[in-house]
Amino acid sequence: MNAIECSREQDVIDAVSSGRWPDRCDDALRVHVAACAICAEVAKVARALQDDHEAAWRDARVPPSGRVWWRAEMRARQEAARKAARPITLVQGAAAVCAGGVLVALAALVWPMWPTLTAALGLLTASSLATVLPQFGVPLAIGIGSILLLTPVALYFVFSEK
Amino acid sequence: MRDLTLTDVERLESRADEARSAEVAFQMDEDTFRAFYERTAKPVWVYLSRMTGDAQAADDLLQETYYRFLRVERSYANDAHRRNYLFRIATNLVRDARRRPRVDLVRVPEEDAPDALRADGDVAERTARRTDLTRAMALLKPRERDLLWLAYAQGSSHQEIAESLGLRTGSIKQLLFRARHRLAALLGGTRT
Repeated sequence: MNAIECSREQDVIDAVSSGRWPDRCDDALRVHVAACAICAEVAKVARALQDDHEAAWRDARVPPSGRVWWRAEMRARQEAARKAARPITLVQGAAAVCAGGVLVALAALVWPMWPTLTAALGLLTASSLATVLPQFGVPLAIGIGSILLLTPVALYFVFSEK
Repeated sequence: MRDLTLTDVERLESRADEARSAEVAFQMDEDTFRAFYERTAKPVWVYLSRMTGDAQAADDLLQETYYRFLRVERSYANDAHRRNYLFRIATNLVRDARRRPRVDLVRVPEEDAPDALRADGDVAERTARRTDLTRAMALLKPRERDLLWLAYAQGSSHQEIAESLGLRTGSIKQLLFRARHRLAALLGGTRT
């Protein structure tokens, strides 16, 4: 089985990372690396990576810690607010489903009476309207006007944020 | 089930307001974080930069790394463990970024020599070596790149590498040997 490690690997890595390799390290290590395939590989790879590391280190421009902290804090708060608001969305959804259910129930209730209602409306001819409207016209107009005025106000108070 | 009233909705909304203004739960206070960041930010950025091949991506991933680190509820035996965990988060983020097809990770340099190659002496040699390295690293598997960088660029121990990459310490020697052998072969006749 081929060897995968050498006892002097760490010496080679130390020499490369301290900048002593190859010119300022001791001769014994140089002789060893020349004879040891593993250490020769380690020296080649470590030197290339160390050079690249030095270049990257020189180019590195990291943001200040305060900015990273502040951004993290902002994001955590936004996530907390989103999490807390999730039940409200669920409640609004449930309310919409309930409203839909009530409408369906009303429709189901009115449906059997529909022929009777249309018959009654059929009796309400233009001439009968002319006699009825003067009697109930004013209360009817007040009722419709109130609904038209109050509905937007009520909706505003229900859906406004505060 | 009890019907929800308007008061319930108001109560839920007030909870959302409280969350907006509440102190967020981080695993350390600001001063401790600042000290830890000063010690680790540059190595993490360099690692991210070289593993993604993109300085801009490294900037984004650096912020994300620290955010995830701060949010995790975990205890550490010592500062080295904390640092290794930070690198583990960074490694996972790089892996996620690699899976995204639009991100062109580890750019292979153009065949034409850069201007610096025409410079004299040691600078030219170093630049040429870096260009060779970038090309060779691009041909390695992502895990091989991670291993080699941590071992030979950062000088991490086998245990630190194992913790940073989520691998068993016992397997690092063999994996590192294979990765190093491949990279050495790809670097070819580059002078040691």
